[in-house]
Parts: sequence; C-alpha cells; structure tokens
Amino acid sequence: MTVAVDLEVDAARPWIEGSGAEHPQLVDTAHSLDELLGIINVPMGVWVDEEGTIVRPAEVAVIERSEWADIEISDDWPAVVRDMLEQVKRIPRYDPDRYVDALRDWTERGAESPFALTPAEVVARSAPRPIEEAEAAARFELGQHLHHAGFEDDARTHFREAHRLHPDNWTYKRNAWELLDPGTQGPSDHYDGDWLSDIKRLGPERYYPPLEL
Amino acid sequence: MELTPAELADQTGWELKPEGLCRDQRCVPLPAGADDAPDVVDVRIVADRLRMPLVADDRHGLWALGPEADGHVLDSAELPPIVLADVNGTPFDLASLRGNKVLISAWASW
Repeated sequence: MTVAVDLEVDAARPWIEGSGAEHPQLVDTAHSLDELLGIINVPMGVWVDEEGTIVRPAEVAVIERSEWADIEISDDWPAVVRDMLEQVKRIPRYDPDRYVDALRDWTERGAESPFALTPAEVVARSAPRPIEEAEAAARFELGQHLHHAGFEDDARTHFREAHRLHPDNWTYKRNAWELLDPGTQGPSDHYDGDWLSDIKRLGPERYYPPLEL
Repeated sequence: MELTPAELADQTGWELKPEGLCRDQRCVPLPAGADDAPDVVDVRIVADRLRMPLVADDRHGLWALGPEADGHVLDSAELPPIVLADVNGTPFDLASLRGNKVLISAWASW
C-alpha cells in the first residue's frame, strides 16, 4: 500500500488517479506517519506481517535508481539548479535491487527471512525520540490543523518551529516549502531554511537515515 | 485543560487506573491528589509525567500533545491504530489488512 505524505490531497491526486494501481492508496494530510512510524523523508517504507507486527521499522525504501543521481549537469543551466543537483548527487544512494530482493525474500519466507527483525530489534532500530523531536511533532500538529483551517500565517509559525526542533525531518520542511515555492523549495520570508540551504548546512549524507539491510 | 479518561485512552493509549497511568505493561504513578476527580484527567499532569510536550496556539485556543519523549519512535512492534483517507475522503483502517504482508510505502508529490 502507498501513503502520500501530503498536506494537500489534490497535490497527490494526479499520481494516484493516474497510477492504475489496485492496492490501497492513501493520503496522510496531517503527516501522522511521521509521529506514529518515524517517517522523516520519502521514499521510506515499513514492513508489517500478517499479524499486524512491524518487522522492519521506517527506513529508506528505494526500488529504482534515481535518474537525478546520474544526470549530467550542464553549464547552461541556472546556477541554483546546478547547485541543487550537485547536492542531489552527494546524497548516499542505496542499491535498489538489494531492497527489492530483501522484500521478496520476506514475502516468500516470512519470519524465516533474515530481513524480518524481531520485535525487540524493531523497537531498537526505530529512531530515538528526544524531547525536541516530540515537540516538533506537536508543533506540526498545530500547524497542519491551522493550515487546513485556512490560517496560513499562523500555521507557518508552528511549521517553522517544527523545522527548528527536528531539522532531520524533511517531510515537515519540504511540504511546507513546496506550498510557497513549488519545485524549487527556495528561500522565503516565512521560513528560516530552504531545500538548498538546509541540505548544505546539514550535509547530504544526512538526507536519509542509513539503511541497514 | 482536562480530558475524560476515555478521551485520554483514545488519544494516547494510556489508561487511568488505580496504579496511575498505564499502557501495556507500564504504569506511571500520578502525584498525590491528581486523581481526586476520577472523571477527568489534567492533561498538564499527564504531559509532565509521560514526557509528552504540550504546546499551545494562544490566538486560536489550540493545544497539541506530542508523543512521549526520550524513548524510541516505536515502543512496541505492534502497528499502532492508523486510519487514513483515500483521495475521495473514504477512511481506510490499516488494521483491515491483517492476514496480509504489507509494505507501507511513504511517498509525496513534493
């Protein structure tokens, strides 16, 4: 099943309606999966067995090689685009075939698969949650509520605070920036960061949590 | 800032019992006098005891209670209750997928 972590249903709608997929396709307009499962960027995946037990917590779930990783950067392109792509190329890439193979192994062998973790391993591998990140979740909760109620300026106050408290949560940031500057997620008067500044400041190696397959 | 015990259990999974606040095998005692009124729970005390940040938007009179801090995102491998809607607004309970292996694949348009 897929979940679009999108504040706006209509932003996800074209992909969902155009996919032709038959599996459940849902939209998380509150980013509740961030708090409940530890989703902090996309794509990420969680494996759940037949009994409703999580056997792999939230982790990077790449199933095909990013075309951006191999793109040849042209000198003719605007400086900001070149700069963004340079950062994209530095994001650690995981072998998508390994992830798909692991997933297939689990679907065939279930608990016997070495990729199916024990409940204790699942809890231990789920991300630590310091008080700042717990508060970020509460801030984002207020922000999304106000956003959906139409109080955009007030929502941004809480979104900005969530960004400060949990800088490694890119779903909080990218979705908020996207509302102001679709595609580029560039600087604005409303937020302290933007995609390019933040990935440079935090380091592209932190863009996704390390994948331990 | 008060909730009924039923509301607290529904929103957080923590139940008010004679031992204090309990969830699964864990119980956290409440300070003396906190359970004098059994029909209501002071959320500020819950937040303090469980290390759940309580934040406010004064302009709109809103409060939000964050998740427990200082542990892990998951305190159990059991999938928590999650109900999300599809593009038509129809709710879908992830528990309805019991009996199947499920990959929850998170993506976004942005």
